[in-house]
Amino acid sequence: MSDVAAQPSLIRRGGWLLLALPLWVFLYLVIHPVSEWLAYHLLGLTPKSHLGEAIAFLFYDTPKVLLLLTLVVFIVTFIQTFVSPNKVRDALSKRRPGLGNALASVFGIVTPFCSCSAVPLFIGFLRAGVPLGVTFSFLVAAPMINEVALGMLFAMFGWKIAAIYAGTGVAVAFTSGLILGRLRMERHLEGWVQDALNAPSLGDIEDENVTLAVRIDLAVQGVKEIVGKVWPYILAGIAVGAFIHGYVPESLMAGLLGKKTWYSVPLAVVIGVPLYSNAAGVMPIVEALLGKGAALGSTLAFMMAVIGLSLPETVILRKVMRPRLIATFVGVVATGILLVGYLFNAIL
Amino acid sequence: MLIEVFGPGCAKCQTMEKHAKEAVEQSGGEHQVVKISDYAAMASRGILSTPALALDGQIKFQGRVASSDEILALIKG
Repeated sequence: MSDVAAQPSLIRRGGWLLLALPLWVFLYLVIHPVSEWLAYHLLGLTPKSHLGEAIAFLFYDTPKVLLLLTLVVFIVTFIQTFVSPNKVRDALSKRRPGLGNALASVFGIVTPFCSCSAVPLFIGFLRAGVPLGVTFSFLVAAPMINEVALGMLFAMFGWKIAAIYAGTGVAVAFTSGLILGRLRMERHLEGWVQDALNAPSLGDIEDENVTLAVRIDLAVQGVKEIVGKVWPYILAGIAVGAFIHGYVPESLMAGLLGKKTWYSVPLAVVIGVPLYSNAAGVMPIVEALLGKGAALGSTLAFMMAVIGLSLPETVILRKVMRPRLIATFVGVVATGILLVGYLFNAIL
Repeated sequence: MLIEVFGPGCAKCQTMEKHAKEAVEQSGGEHQVVKISDYAAMASRGILSTPALALDGQIKFQGRVASSDEILALIKG
């Protein structure tokens, strides 16, 4: 009996997916006309007015972002069931710096990673002989190039911006890891970590064998979990976005976060770091910023700072790293983000 | 049987622990659920991502929340 429960039916799941897809497309097509109807007819707001623009943005963007997020999370979680930290660790173990850093940065994009796993993963990598610098490349890339953010950027702004985000993120992770590896900071790991690295292993774990139906279940579970958890962030992000969209004049935004303002990139990073939001919650803000004439480099820097250099994650990593190492880590990554911002403001 | 749930205390780990307790209740057997949040212990067991669950010392799930049905199926073997 337990066999039946443990082996969910693929056909039934496939059927549900075939029903869900046209429904998704239908909803996506009607939200724009419905949002305008709600704002300008039902509420009687004047098109082109501050309030009208802000409210229409709110009505349009909320369902749009949620729909896109659902699709993106489903696809991303499904793909992630094929990649496990175990496989990545084995692929990176005993790699030389350079190639190892490059691989780690790219793997960081697709590997399922939650910041509460940062510590076990960090220790597990080091124990398996992954060099410290290579491990850092992974730790920088995994949160900074968030796979959901990447999918959302692709869906909302096209492949060019998504590629710029992924490319520069990989570059920052690669370089940061290379530099941190060169600095030979192993002795700045906390004492208990050094002990744990030398402690005997009680065995290795093999990956579960999962069927296609279970992968689909995991993807659905991922959607429920992520969309269920981040919708308040998205609403907050959209509210901020709607405010920027309706009320912040373009001249102010172009002044503060524009290309010509020398301090726009550091300002974006300084605002971004303490703002702990979810990758998906930043998207509406990014959308509004870009729409109002903020420079792409500054906006990218803002987004990377919010997602990649979060305060909670730093607090978690402090458990394994002594203050000097954590400060170096944050410093190197922040410098990387600043360079990305300036680079894109200069060339675009 | 001994069921160990590994996790530093994030939301996912708490859900896993809850599912494990539910599974034990449904099984009607005498099983013990232990929560382990010590990182050094996780490291020595080879755990890379949390939450993880071990049954009688063997890691069965890691990096995802298993449903109480899945855990129950494991207990029943």
